[in-house]
Amino acid sequence: MTSVESPSPVPAPAPSPAPKKPRFKFKLKMPGKWVRVTALLLLLGLSGYVYYLDVTIREAFEGRKFALPARVYGRALEVYAGLRLTREQFVEELRSLGYHENPEPKEAATYHFTANGVEFTTRDFVFSDGPQASQHVRMEFADGKVSLLQAHGATDVDMALLRMEPPLIGGIYPGHNEDRELVRLAEVPKPLIDTLIATEDRKFYSHMGVDPRGIARALFRTLSGQRIEGGSTLTQQLVKNFFLTSERTLTRKGTEVLMALLLEMHYSKDEILETYLNEVFLGQDAGRAIHGFGLASYYYFDRPLDRLEPQEIAMLVGLVKGPTVYDPRKHPQEGLKRRNVVLQEMAGQNVITQAQAVAALARPLGVVERAPAGTSPYPAFLQLVHRQLQRDYREEDLRGEGLRIFTTLDPFVQHRAEDALRLRLAEIEKARRFKANTLEGAVVVTSTQTGEIQAMVGGRDARYAGFNRALDSQRPIGSLAKPIVYLTALEDPQHYTLITPLDDTQLVYKQRGAADWKPQNYERTFHDKVQLRVALAHSYNVATARLGIELGVDRILDKLPQYGIDRKPPPYASSLLGAYGLAPVEVAQMYQTFADGGFRTPLRAIRDVVAASGKPLQRYQLNVEPVAAPGPVYVLTAAMQGVVREGTATAMTNYLPAEMNVAGKTGTTEDLRDSWFAGFTGNRVAVVWVGRDDNKPSGLTGASGAMTIWGEMMKNLPTEPVQPPQPEDVELVTVDPVSGVRYETGCKSGMALPFIKGSAPAETAPCPGGFAVVAASAVPAVSAASAVAPASSVAAAKTVESKPAVKKEEEKKNWFQRLFN
Amino acid sequence: MKNIYAWLPIAALALLLAGCEGMKTQPSATTPPVPPVSPEQQVPPPAVEQPPEAQTPPPPQTPQAVAEASIADLGPRQPASENRAVLALLDGAHSASAAGKREGAEASLERALRIEPRNPWLWLEMAQLRLAQGQYAQAITLARKSISFAAGKHRVQAEDWKLIADARIAQGDSAGADLAFRQAAERAQQAKGE
Repeated sequence: MTSVESPSPVPAPAPSPAPKKPRFKFKLKMPGKWVRVTALLLLLGLSGYVYYLDVTIREAFEGRKFALPARVYGRALEVYAGLRLTREQFVEELRSLGYHENPEPKEAATYHFTANGVEFTTRDFVFSDGPQASQHVRMEFADGKVSLLQAHGATDVDMALLRMEPPLIGGIYPGHNEDRELVRLAEVPKPLIDTLIATEDRKFYSHMGVDPRGIARALFRTLSGQRIEGGSTLTQQLVKNFFLTSERTLTRKGTEVLMALLLEMHYSKDEILETYLNEVFLGQDAGRAIHGFGLASYYYFDRPLDRLEPQEIAMLVGLVKGPTVYDPRKHPQEGLKRRNVVLQEMAGQNVITQAQAVAALARPLGVVERAPAGTSPYPAFLQLVHRQLQRDYREEDLRGEGLRIFTTLDPFVQHRAEDALRLRLAEIEKARRFKANTLEGAVVVTSTQTGEIQAMVGGRDARYAGFNRALDSQRPIGSLAKPIVYLTALEDPQHYTLITPLDDTQLVYKQRGAADWKPQNYERTFHDKVQLRVALAHSYNVATARLGIELGVDRILDKLPQYGIDRKPPPYASSLLGAYGLAPVEVAQMYQTFADGGFRTPLRAIRDVVAASGKPLQRYQLNVEPVAAPGPVYVLTAAMQGVVREGTATAMTNYLPAEMNVAGKTGTTEDLRDSWFAGFTGNRVAVVWVGRDDNKPSGLTGASGAMTIWGEMMKNLPTEPVQPPQPEDVELVTVDPVSGVRYETGCKSGMALPFIKGSAPAETAPCPGGFAVVAASAVPAVSAASAVAPASSVAAAKTVESKPAVKKEEEKKNWFQRLFN
Repeated sequence: MKNIYAWLPIAALALLLAGCEGMKTQPSATTPPVPPVSPEQQVPPPAVEQPPEAQTPPPPQTPQAVAEASIADLGPRQPASENRAVLALLDGAHSASAAGKREGAEASLERALRIEPRNPWLWLEMAQLRLAQGQYAQAITLARKSISFAAGKHRVQAEDWKLIADARIAQGDSAGADLAFRQAAERAQQAKGE
């Protein structure tokens, strides 16, 4: 660019008065000397100041020229025949992608309902693996599935797969949350430029940055006590935009004039105009500032600049004068007036013909409706993405290089998670007469086998970009920590199986550096001997503590890093029962490993990062680490299914059918401060936390709070049953649910449980109750069950025991077989 | 002076040649000295030992040869999925791989896995990709994950074990590789009986 060396190209103030006073040359106390020194200092100061302004304005100009926010996209919906998807769900997707209804959906981003489906045309889109051209598609639905997918053409052709454009879910913006869509001067329609110059700065191409008459007028008005205003050239406006302050003083005006002059010295008119077109502030979308005509064109009309009609150009140019006052969405009357003034100006300057002007004046504003999206509708997830990116990219690159970031967020799952949290918290508060809005919560949802984060809700007001409880709160996890203890036991099948009796009698544990520890069960009673699976199902603290101490506190806590928990819990036995804080997202990582047969897949929020040029920069690879052997994890899964089937989470049946075989764990902390549920279906892992921000008791157990949100959410999502493949070293053996003695397969009095081969009881007892045609019975008849389980479910279990409903029982009997095959 | 200038082009040419030389040798220096892994979508080449059958006591076969022969014996694979979308993505992954675009192949495989996350063939394909990328430990883990989804499906298990063996060879663990080859042969036998 221009040389940097000339520090003060602007004429310095009038030559100093020094030469006029040579006489005082040698006298010390001559006032003239001081004048000279002062003048010199002033001169130096002024040129220093001008130099400073010069550097500042050029930095701003160079910096802003290319500052493009990173764009963050959610997952692209993949559609194929047979996919579980309803028309309503698909249209929700189309609308969120900004498609408009049109009886002839031939134009990109339009759709039309047909008898059994929908017809639409996709947009061109550049994915991380290359461009995908717009397609005209016909889709039909039947029985909650996609039944037909065809590319529309001379003859319709079946398509194997259609990848929709990914929804834009936010951006990482430069500076003051500025968003823009960069345009080159050549791409801007001439009428727009002509109109802009006609209305804002007619002498733009001839002045040198400032308009002396305008300045004079402004000066006069100021001195005569009127408002400081007007007289700004485009160049001055650009300068103003760089340093957004609303301050209006003479000095500021002076600075602005100087900077405008400096800008014009360094840059051509076209460069200045192009930057202006991209820089000018044209609207406010909640937390996001709309800068430049490129983005404004989409923001107001959902079309690129080159497809705007005269009245739309007039509206955009009209907004320059006051984006808030003339906001066509908030103040349509004012907006329309302003637009029409500009239209008349366009006709007056021959940008359009009179006839065109008359036609345009008759047109409505034509602004597209859109819910104010703020910086992102999913601030919690975006925070996670931003944080992961910060590990690999410099902040200024993230905010200024126009990166395109493809993430794993599934808006459909996200909305179900948000809705469930909001709805259930309000219901709970109402039912329990809590003060409204005292409960808070967080949700994380991931895919079971690929570890992708599909949803993250950081609080019940999901749009509010405040404290992200899913990521940053660390609440004691309580019983969510127990599966690690039980897995450690089950990894030693010679000593521990699901039916191993555990000791649930009073425990006083002495440990150096900590007070004596006397764990209590939730219901403050002890259960003597309980089967291992029962102790987990009912979340018995004392039995778990004894088991953990037997196995070794360090041995168990040292395992946490393998499960992705880098935080180190205090080395005390109480940590066995979850007396340490974790964020919901960390818990999700831990349970993902249980859900995926002992393979840990580091949770991912980002798939690819692509440069503004379209060049792929980085793939976030799917990695898998073996953490636990599949056999013991399979057995643990059966025990965690017991939690839902017969333990603390039986109320899950209010939300999901028993056939889903959900596996999970409730967590409740001291004085009911935290309510947790972590669990999984065949295709999703989810963690929910509920509590209060002030850490006061929430009054909720894991089952009465978090679990209901979990269930409410999953109920509304396509869910697959938990069906882990049975590892080779596992066998199903029928045992007595209370005594644990082995029966022949099919004995009605027994239940089938998984054992690591060789660990099941060897001796078979005679079957007391005869044989069923189908193998095992799964009726939980464990006496201790009544202690914790909600009364209703206990009653249900009892009615099953007294076997009036044979058919239902038959169904229930099957589940284990169905489950594990 | 003049002479020096006259020499310049020659020197430059020499430098250029030297540079080219370096470029030529570079790739062979960086590629691991590991035998290239045969893309498994084709039937593996007839194993080394397939002499006329009538011959007297067949020479002791290596576990690798046995494994490869018994997998070859199973004939071509069945389609990896019944879902056309998955097959289309798999085709896409194969052609991207063939064109040397491994990242593209990876992206396609991941898309397929999102549709069928419990399809052991897809996890095997992912393992093969990692093997080709030289990420041997990941390849082994992914093959194990494939096995975990392949209860009762011996054909894919056999190929998983063979891949584990190949990865172990690449890691320099020939004893471990032999164990895995034996597993592969055993699964292939079981698959034959199905």
